Amino acid sequence: MSILYEFEGKQLFKINYIPVPRFKVYTGKESIEEFAKELDSNVMMAKGQALSGGRGKAGLIKKVTKDEADDYIKSIIGRDHRGKPVETVLLEEPMEIQKEYYLAVMLDNESGKYLTLASSRGGVDIEEIAENYPDEIYRDTLAIDDEPLPYLFMNLGKKLGFSARTLTSFSNIMTNMINMAKKLDLTLVEINPLILTPQNQIIAADSKVVIDGNAYYRQENIASLKSQRDRYTDLEFEANEAGISYVQLDGEIGIISGGAGLSMATCDLLEFYGSSPANFLDVGGGADETKIEKSLEILSRQDVKGIFINFFAGITRCDDVAEGIINASKKFNIEAPIVIRLVGTNDKIGIRILEENGIKAYSEMEPAARKIVELVEGGN
Amino acid sequence: MAILLDENTKVIVQGITGKQGSFHAKSMIDYGTKVIAGVTPGKGGQEFLGLPVFDSMKEAVKETQATASVIFIPARFTYSAALEAIDSGIKLLTIITEGIPVKDTAKIKQKAIKNKVVMVGPNCPGLITPGASKIGIIPGEICSPGNVGIVSRSGTLTYEIIQNLTVNGFGQSTCVGLGGDPIKGIGFNECLKWFEEDPQTKQIILVGEIGGTGEQEAADLVKSEITKPVFAFIAGQTAPPGKQMGHAGAIVHGKSGTAQEKMRILVEAGITTVRTSSEIPIKIRESI
Repeated sequence: MSILYEFEGKQLFKINYIPVPRFKVYTGKESIEEFAKELDSNVMMAKGQALSGGRGKAGLIKKVTKDEADDYIKSIIGRDHRGKPVETVLLEEPMEIQKEYYLAVMLDNESGKYLTLASSRGGVDIEEIAENYPDEIYRDTLAIDDEPLPYLFMNLGKKLGFSARTLTSFSNIMTNMINMAKKLDLTLVEINPLILTPQNQIIAADSKVVIDGNAYYRQENIASLKSQRDRYTDLEFEANEAGISYVQLDGEIGIISGGAGLSMATCDLLEFYGSSPANFLDVGGGADETKIEKSLEILSRQDVKGIFINFFAGITRCDDVAEGIINASKKFNIEAPIVIRLVGTNDKIGIRILEENGIKAYSEMEPAARKIVELVEGGN
Repeated sequence: MAILLDENTKVIVQGITGKQGSFHAKSMIDYGTKVIAGVTPGKGGQEFLGLPVFDSMKEAVKETQATASVIFIPARFTYSAALEAIDSGIKLLTIITEGIPVKDTAKIKQKAIKNKVVMVGPNCPGLITPGASKIGIIPGEICSPGNVGIVSRSGTLTYEIIQNLTVNGFGQSTCVGLGGDPIKGIGFNECLKWFEEDPQTKQIILVGEIGGTGEQEAADLVKSEITKPVFAFIAGQTAPPGKQMGHAGAIVHGKSGTAQEKMRILVEAGITTVRTSSEIPIKIRESI
């Protein structure tokens, strides 16, 4: 699950025949001049790009004249929005609005089908529509292999109130959204708002696009977009490049574990015993010693008061885990106390490797968790 | 009895000559699973771990009458291997592989449903009927035969729970790891129904985590159809909220994705929830 910037989504919309306003990515004062010329107007939208919502309320979107634009843009670049600085600003053609709609296509987890959501109450959060006008959201599904032909969406268009003149454009947009989702391995394509202009044009005024990270190998153009790098902190990115699932949290004890469920449960247990997790780290199934070593390197660079290594190995092998720990302890300067719990596939060999290096391992998770919490909290 | 597999289930390993495939095929054989053949395209006619290797699932099933297959194949080749397995006529398909694009999984699932194949996974540890047979990677030595049925969205966390049960004298009927991907084959509800019908199973443990709505649907089913006692553990109490939830996802699934909310709904359905895995055997003992 990884979200794209609005401008990246709109670039995809454009090449997939979904109409968008004219836009240009800000690259300096000249780009404002050029864009004003292109629009033949002195007024434009400046939209700070961020991976979280609420940009409007945060003052990152503003209608500006060509002369104000540069100062405004410089004032929002670098500003923090929900933990990330704004780095890119989109210049966009202002749109006149007759009516706003909400449209989304998503791959539904429960049914394994494409789910479409549509409402004529666009422009506000979908949660808000769902709460205030639950009957005005139309849902439909399309089997994963079915072709999204335009006629399928005529009825939906009528329900949303599109006139005979605009119905064809509407159903083409629906078709193109689904085709785009299929072709590009997108799990969400959302347009909110979709705008009907006074001239009866239908235009996607915003974009929210989410790609399936598992499909990166066959969607290289999307995988290499700026958003796919920016969603991570530097350490998270480095971990991810090494095939490690790592999320920085703000607690005390760093964890290394295998399997998402056990990694989450490990975080939970630290909290249960009165401390807190400094991160979530799942080395993934079948991790070898280099991944374990890399994980410890990452934690050695994060500010942690203790490290809890917790493995119940299935597809991973305890001897690999032990080798990785030994290698890392020789290479990196780790001062925080480490508690290791190691059981599962090849655990006897793993424990022997650790013991040969003077390291003791626990066989149960809860006593090990209590121990690391005691070492960390006791040191306070 | 147990569910889904027993000592007579004939299993084919797809990707048997690979690193993971060979390691875990051997551990399945050592455990007593009737592994009957392997499939690796291009290596047909060879012998591996004392078993015949075939180029295709079709040949392997024809020669061996196997009814189950397990996939240990890199993600980008799994789509084709899974569809091939379904076409070969097997009835139980387990996909261990992690990292399959969800669109591919959705297609595999659609075909599995159409062909009445029970699909377990992907991104899962597989299943085990202790003392009889295992398919996948659950370490056999931590399990013991008994009466507790386990169905879980996690792999390693399940091992944790199994070991705690075994150490405390509670054996298991069958343990099923459903897998951690957003779209997967069978879910909690199929397993709950099978455990309800299985005479060997006396208690059921459900291991869930944040995201999705599987736990909520399970709660509904438990209220209406399950008479056996159900215990639940939900991972992700400390997970930062909302990171992966799109707006459209939030509306479809409501505000139900958090561990706290799931626990609340499970408790409401009469399910005993716990905060640590060592609590499970204690709660089971109390219920008897």
